[in-house]
Amino acid sequence: MIKLKNITKWVNNGNNRVFLLKDINLQFNEGEFISIMGPSGSGKSTLLNVIGMIDDADEGEYHFLDQAVHEMKEKQRALLYKQHIGFVFQAYHLIDELTVYENIETPLLYQNIKSSDRKAMVADMLDRFNIVGKKDLFPNQLSGGQQQLVGIARALIGAPTVILADEPTGNLNSKQGEEIMELFRELNEKDGVTIIQVTHSEKNAAYGNRIIHLLDGRVDHHAMEQYTKTV
Amino acid sequence: MIRNFILIAVRNLKRNLVFSAINIFGLSLGLACCMLIYLYTLDEVSFDRFHKNGPQLYRISVNLSNPEGKLHQFGYTGMMPGPAFKHSIPDVESYVRYQSEYLTVRNGNELFDQEAAYADETFFQLFSFPLVSGVPEKSLSDPQSVVLSASMAKKYFGSTNAVGKTLELKLGDTFQPYQVSAVMQDAPQNSSIKPQLLLPLKFAPSQNDKHWMNFFLHTFVLLKPGADIAKVETQMNRVFMAEAAEELAANKQNSGMEEKVHYGLQAFESMHLDTVYQADNGLVDASNPMYTYILSGIALLILVVACINFVNLTLGQALKRSREIGIRKAMGSQRSQLVTQFLGEALVLCSIAFLLAVGMVITVLPYFNTLANKALSFSYLLDAKLIFGYGLLLFATALLAGFYPALVLSGFNPVQTLYGKAVLSGRSLLAKGMVVFQFTLATFLIMAVITMYSQFNYLTNYNLGYNDKGVLSVNTERMDKQKLNLFRNELLKNSAIQQVAADQGGFQFSVAHINQGSNIEYNIRYIDEQYFPLFDIPVVKGRNFSSAMTTDTSESVIVNESFVKTAGWKDPIGQEVDFFWRNKKCKVIGVIRDYHFESLTEEMKPQLFTADPEMKFSNVYLRVAPGALGSAQAHLSSVFKSFFPAQAYNPRFKDQENLQAYEAEAKWKTMISMGAVLTIIISCIGLLGLATITAQKRTKEIGIRKVLGASVSGIVSMLTSDFLRMVGLAVLIGFPLAGWAIGQWLQNYPYRIEMKWWMYGLAGLLVMMVAFFTIGWQTLQAARSNPVKSLKSE
Repeated sequence: MIKLKNITKWVNNGNNRVFLLKDINLQFNEGEFISIMGPSGSGKSTLLNVIGMIDDADEGEYHFLDQAVHEMKEKQRALLYKQHIGFVFQAYHLIDELTVYENIETPLLYQNIKSSDRKAMVADMLDRFNIVGKKDLFPNQLSGGQQQLVGIARALIGAPTVILADEPTGNLNSKQGEEIMELFRELNEKDGVTIIQVTHSEKNAAYGNRIIHLLDGRVDHHAMEQYTKTV
Repeated sequence: MIRNFILIAVRNLKRNLVFSAINIFGLSLGLACCMLIYLYTLDEVSFDRFHKNGPQLYRISVNLSNPEGKLHQFGYTGMMPGPAFKHSIPDVESYVRYQSEYLTVRNGNELFDQEAAYADETFFQLFSFPLVSGVPEKSLSDPQSVVLSASMAKKYFGSTNAVGKTLELKLGDTFQPYQVSAVMQDAPQNSSIKPQLLLPLKFAPSQNDKHWMNFFLHTFVLLKPGADIAKVETQMNRVFMAEAAEELAANKQNSGMEEKVHYGLQAFESMHLDTVYQADNGLVDASNPMYTYILSGIALLILVVACINFVNLTLGQALKRSREIGIRKAMGSQRSQLVTQFLGEALVLCSIAFLLAVGMVITVLPYFNTLANKALSFSYLLDAKLIFGYGLLLFATALLAGFYPALVLSGFNPVQTLYGKAVLSGRSLLAKGMVVFQFTLATFLIMAVITMYSQFNYLTNYNLGYNDKGVLSVNTERMDKQKLNLFRNELLKNSAIQQVAADQGGFQFSVAHINQGSNIEYNIRYIDEQYFPLFDIPVVKGRNFSSAMTTDTSESVIVNESFVKTAGWKDPIGQEVDFFWRNKKCKVIGVIRDYHFESLTEEMKPQLFTADPEMKFSNVYLRVAPGALGSAQAHLSSVFKSFFPAQAYNPRFKDQENLQAYEAEAKWKTMISMGAVLTIIISCIGLLGLATITAQKRTKEIGIRKVLGASVSGIVSMLTSDFLRMVGLAVLIGFPLAGWAIGQWLQNYPYRIEMKWWMYGLAGLLVMMVAFFTIGWQTLQAARSNPVKSLKSE
């Protein structure tokens, strides 16, 4: 489903070229639950953003559902990821000026869905996550766990095939974190949503059925082998 | 989606109340200025457009050139052209002549000086002035009939139901009863013709004037639809050459004067703003399109200054919005959708400002009307054009203010904004440039205000060369020297009145031959021997008129220094002035020092004084003893009424009359001052906003610097120096621009101030001080803040 071939990204710092990603070759299949690990600055978030199409690679090929993303124009790409990709962020990134309801509704506005349909879809989602009573609250009136729940609801509202989660539990306490991870597992197993998460936590990484290690912008095969051995 | 955008806009507005208020307030000031000026402009261009025949109506204009090539251009003619042109030119369908007149109205025991006009019977056919009562065709046909405007009918009869009633009018020296034949609605405010009393021209004293070369009334013609203007003009001049040939030849023989006349047609609807053939001589409210240009320019610039605030403040706060932009992009928003959103927000803000501006306009309209000499109101200007114009203004403002920020904000990279990396580098040059622009304009306008005030002071305090303080003047009936002396003696019985002098009143230029045949043009004044002493005007050569010298009245004139200079006389006394047009020669017996008999907006001109009894006195001057004004006025009033029972008593103060000449200057001074004040207010609130944002952004830096030992004053100077440098640069750019423009403006005045260094200094200091105090407080707050707090929160 997702094929990355020699994906390379850099920034120029004076005369030096600093590589954020270097020759990444990866393939993810539909229904997988992937965890990406690695130390700070290893390129995890950058890789996630490239996969999520909100950032460009400088070199390499990227195929999403057999379509060549690296050859697309911005408009086509937006069309593709609007339909297929949902984002969950560490800092939740809800819009402060919008209520829970309106935050969840936002992606639908960009998919030109009719108002009545939107109402029904948001209502379903609120129901599913048990936050109907909170629909008129603003993000700053919610706890971190609740905010992330809204974030996930917002990511799911467009019925994406892939959810990209960047340290979704990073700002949460362990109990809240566990609930969120359980939710991801359920989504993956019951609804067949492909999940790619970036995490620092071994425990959270273990929810996935495959772990990718990054180090200095490269896939760290050594660490992956080590990990596999210990497991 | 729209609902979502509006929600965000409103919630954002509430969250950043201070910045929203700054933006809305600034924009509403700018919008209000533009709306006012738009009303003004609409009124200007709507002038005289309400006549059904409008497009076919023309006024006959005249180019008159004398042998020296001096060209006079004006919009009035004599009695002859109207009927002659209609008779011979098929395209001239009809004409109406309109001659303005001042007369005295007696209503019961009360006397009124009244503006009136004579007009042909065709007046109500050519022009669309509806009658309240009466029949248009017959209203101007009977002798001793008068048409009143509605307000005049109310004034004299208490109601518009006045047809058939009589009013006594003084024509010549006697009152005669006139019957009201019709009452017309008051002319709309945007009309150049505003008749109050209309009298039939065919019974006017001037009706027998058969001279083509007298120019004193307006001739309006109605052309047939599709008439070729150039062709009609050619025909007009052909008719003139044929019909006036005899008169021209006679003139040439009598006086050697060979004047050339060229008739033209001026479109009636463009008369109001014509600066060459002005709507004067009984037509009212003539204007100059330059006023519209200057006012529009200032209003638009104020709006631009307010839009700059919007741009700068929106971008200054962009960091706050950047996360939302990132999220929206990650949710699948396209850039164009974000641009729409931000433009929408600008539109919401502008709409609020717009409503506020409408309120402001309604509030200040009466005041603006006094300033601009208008009677603007929404009631008669409210039409599709106005609504469309205001709508356009609203959208243009929203676009002007919102487009650039929308473009910048929507261009944010979602990855950078979501991960809190710095955005908006390299933008500050533009922001700075815009601040510099705002303060350049402020400097420019403040310089303009300082100069206008200085020039106004200069004009109003200028030594006119005569003493106009404590001089009362009053119009009398025409009288000869004998009656003047009786009047004078009666007045001087009260010691509050020290001196009494007289002239013929009015203001006339005339022409005579000097130095064997060359022409000289001069202002002529018929005076008595008390005139110069009363006004403290020194006779520098020769002598004043004297009642002891009987020849003075018949053979002598006095001239001013400019006359001598123009004539090129070394020894003026005894020189001959040849009044060729009445076959009379006089000798110069005295020269007075030049004094400003016109306002200081005019150059000094030659002047000639005569005591020739053929002219009559009708204007009497009194010098009042200091502190005795009350008793002088009481005495004057009672003596006046006993001498002139049929004349309205309207005493005037000479110095106040002189000041009225500078009314235009006074009004412009006030308008430009208001423009300058608005500009600096809007610029300063923008600067305040920027200073606030800067202080917020640099909170951490300030904290660190304080921990490292920086003093409060050090931090204040660090934060303010950036801003003050911008303002300083603006001042430096503003100086030469203002210097140049003001220099141009001052050229209009023959008597003018010099630009002094202190004007620059004062303007610069003023702008810098205002800017400093604006940002000073905010900066001091930031500098004083406890570093522990600011660093901890990071």
